[in-house]
Amino acid sequence: MTLPSARRDLLPGTLDMLVLKSLTVSPMHGYGIAQHLQRLSQDVLQVEEGSLYPSLHRMCQRGWIAAEWRRTPNNQRARYYTITSAGRKQLGTQETGFADLMAAIARVMKPA
Amino acid sequence: MIGTLWRRLRDRLRRDQLTDELGEELRFHETLLARDRRAEGMDPEEAAWAARRQLGNRTAITEETRSLWSLRWLDDAAQDVRLAARSLRHTPVFTAVAVLTLALGVGANSAMFSVIRGALLRPLPFRDPGSLLLLSYQQRSMAPWGFPAMLDRHFDEVRRGARSFEAIATFATRLATLTRAGDPARLDVVGVSPEFFSVLGVRPGLGRLFDSTEVQGAGAPVAILSDALWRLRFGADSAVLGHTATLDGTPFTIVGVMPARFAFPPDAQLWVPADMRLNPNLIMMRPVMGRLRSGVTEAQALAEFEAVSRRFELVPDEHRENMTARLYPLDSFLVGTARRSLLMLAGAVAFVLLIACANVANLLLMRGAARRQDVAIRAALGAGRGRLVRQLLTESTVLFLAGAAVGVPLAFAGMRGLLALAPAGTIPRTQDIRMDAGVLFFTFGVALITGLTFGLAPALAVTGQGSTASPGHGARTTVSRSRLRAGLVVAEVALALMLLTGAGLMLRSFQRLRAIDLGFHPEHVMSVTVDLPNTKYRDAAAMQDFHDRTLAALGRVPATAAAGAVNWRPLGEAQIEGTFTVEGQAPPEFWVSKPAVSPDYFRAMGIGLLRGRPFSEQDDARAPGVAIVSRSVAQRLWPGADPLGRRISMEDHPQASDWLTVIGVVEDVRQERLTQGPVSAIYQPYRQVGGTYSLSHMSFVARTDAAPRAYATAMRAALRDIDPDLPAQALAPLEELVAVQRLAPLFQARLLAAFSLLALVLAAVGIYGLLAYTVVERTHEIGIRMALGAATGRVVRLILARTLLLAAIGVVLGAGGALAVTRVLSTFLFDTSPTDPVTLCTVSALLLLVALVAGLVPARRATRVDPVLALREG
Repeated sequence: MTLPSARRDLLPGTLDMLVLKSLTVSPMHGYGIAQHLQRLSQDVLQVEEGSLYPSLHRMCQRGWIAAEWRRTPNNQRARYYTITSAGRKQLGTQETGFADLMAAIARVMKPA
Repeated sequence: MIGTLWRRLRDRLRRDQLTDELGEELRFHETLLARDRRAEGMDPEEAAWAARRQLGNRTAITEETRSLWSLRWLDDAAQDVRLAARSLRHTPVFTAVAVLTLALGVGANSAMFSVIRGALLRPLPFRDPGSLLLLSYQQRSMAPWGFPAMLDRHFDEVRRGARSFEAIATFATRLATLTRAGDPARLDVVGVSPEFFSVLGVRPGLGRLFDSTEVQGAGAPVAILSDALWRLRFGADSAVLGHTATLDGTPFTIVGVMPARFAFPPDAQLWVPADMRLNPNLIMMRPVMGRLRSGVTEAQALAEFEAVSRRFELVPDEHRENMTARLYPLDSFLVGTARRSLLMLAGAVAFVLLIACANVANLLLMRGAARRQDVAIRAALGAGRGRLVRQLLTESTVLFLAGAAVGVPLAFAGMRGLLALAPAGTIPRTQDIRMDAGVLFFTFGVALITGLTFGLAPALAVTGQGSTASPGHGARTTVSRSRLRAGLVVAEVALALMLLTGAGLMLRSFQRLRAIDLGFHPEHVMSVTVDLPNTKYRDAAAMQDFHDRTLAALGRVPATAAAGAVNWRPLGEAQIEGTFTVEGQAPPEFWVSKPAVSPDYFRAMGIGLLRGRPFSEQDDARAPGVAIVSRSVAQRLWPGADPLGRRISMEDHPQASDWLTVIGVVEDVRQERLTQGPVSAIYQPYRQVGGTYSLSHMSFVARTDAAPRAYATAMRAALRDIDPDLPAQALAPLEELVAVQRLAPLFQARLLAAFSLLALVLAAVGIYGLLAYTVVERTHEIGIRMALGAATGRVVRLILARTLLLAAIGVVLGAGGALAVTRVLSTFLFDTSPTDPVTLCTVSALLLLVALVAGLVPARRATRVDPVLALREG
């Protein structure tokens, strides 16, 4: 259970990167992505789960991910998202930028 | 970036579906969250609440996502378009007039564009057409576009020496008689060098190309058929391969059929291997084309061609400094002089569009003025000027696009009409002309551009300061708007005058062309031409015998008043021309035409005998040689003296038997082209002419009062009785044959006249519209004048004076424009100056008259203004 006050605010654009990264593992539906993020960040990264959807559809429009209706293992209809090659390229760019940013922050926080 | 925009547009179109799907997605998510909570032990109702909270604000999410599927500008535009359509529907008369005007203007332009696109712009239907070039080596004095050609032996040297070309080929068209394939027919047969088909990169649709021995002219004679000939003469039967027919009496085997789209040279019906004529005394040239090797530029190829050409062995008397090597794009061979004519017509039709646009702009201005209140209210309610301009611009664009849509069928009909009415040679590459996506793109593109351009000024004027400031009166802008309206009408009149001047000049030129004294009288004369193949008619005697028998047969036809024969008939676009010798004089400095004729030829043709006697039946091969000279020959050789009894010879070094005694003088005739002056001619009786060269091509002319069709049947029957294998060529009234040379000018003149008539009507409508509106706008003023006692005549004069003023300004400007522009017509004009004052005055007067008539109706309406009503309304 997460209250809004406990939410860690994400840096702008970070959500896209996280979603793309998750999708490199396998195609997932929205719920799956949310679960995946929570599990890996050990509940530190709590997104307001609905906010995933505008992000997902924006990335669809940019051609970074593709969407498709499929059956879940429980035979329910769900929309699965797959990362595209354009998406992988974008993820690469964002990861580099993110690494640079983290290094810079680290340098500021722990001056030598 | 484009991909994103495209996907966004696609998403916008299925936004409702996407929204439904998003709902399903969110419900699915919520279901799973609730299931998790229940698994953690919550009761179902609590779990549902928790799930909903965890998912967040669904409305906000949906809104945010939906905004991704929206295109604000598109939605706004769609709304504007809907508003525009509604407002246009409210004024059906205005809309109909504007749409029809535009449809005429745009449709005419699209029709012309479809022709130009096919004839001039479309790449040739060959592999990599850009690297196909024509090679020419001839006298520098030939016009840049004369007839690019080379001697065979020069071609041979380039073929062996030039590395810039993958391959080069030569080809030449001749007429030959096809027999043993239905009725005998004269066809365009193209002799081609071995590389011809590979240079063009074409394959036969059926059968094969020439093999390596056949192309050398060795081996049995073979030919490839055009698709048209195959269908017409062989019933499109694929068993035609291996079939034999004869060309000029020589049998050949059909080895292939070209596909329907292949038409090169344009009139080709049969392709046969050409023999190379390397004899240094021959000066016949043929066109040569080559395909550039990839990576070689045209400049490099030309440099190499020039280098090779410096080694050419020249024809005696030719000087190298007079010769020049040139390259031309291959399509110039097909297009030739038609380009000028098509571009001239395209220019004319663009004028029509401009006038139509000016008309509609004027209509939009008046409409805007009528809605001034509406616009002012909307402005007062806070609509920005930008929004209002956009709304008005959308309206004009919708109007123009509607015009284009209605114009498309008109364009289609126009294109078909142009192709059907154009005489041969005025529109090249007709098989490449069609309505296609490119033409539609042009049509709507033109509508869009003109709609935005001609809609902008009215939109700005209508939303201008005065009208947005107060919903009441905006006197200042009324003045500027009325200036704009007057300016548009003046421009229309000026453009219409320029077009009318052009059409007037063409018509005047055509009149002069018709009035030319031909030197003979083609009325009531039937003509037929035959070519005697030398395989069957082996010597002059055989040919003369044929001519004798044909003349005798024609003489037996009861309706024949006189029958004659001539080897190259006047205005058949050819002649035999050469030097001659005069007894007791230095060699003459001019050449003469050398027709061989029958005794009754002059009588049959109506060529006036000025002195002496015509040839008689006694002037045959055994009799002493005689000649009849034309008037100009007599004048130049023996000015003021009697030419009868003088002696001349067609030989440069005459023997005693070569001398011909002049027995008569006849009128000069126009021989090759109408527009060339009369030619000097020396006639001989064909029975005294020895060379088969002068006898094989013969036209028979018969003066008769019989109906042409009936007489044609008699002529055809007479010929068939004598030789059933001879095709009767150009069997028609001589008047029609002569008129062929006037067809192209007639076509151009008629088309230009049609365009300018359209322009005149549009300009008249423009003037009428403007004045009618002015009367409405000035009802108040007119009412005051009448209330103050102005006579109706004075009011009429007021309106008409304004009409004439506008028209006169337009005429003056248009006359200036015409003087500047009609120069482009000079190549189309015969014996007519492009600045011909009579034409200019006539069309100016016509335009003023039309303007006056167009102004009369509004002027009369002004007199019916009721002062009381007018004042009360004001």
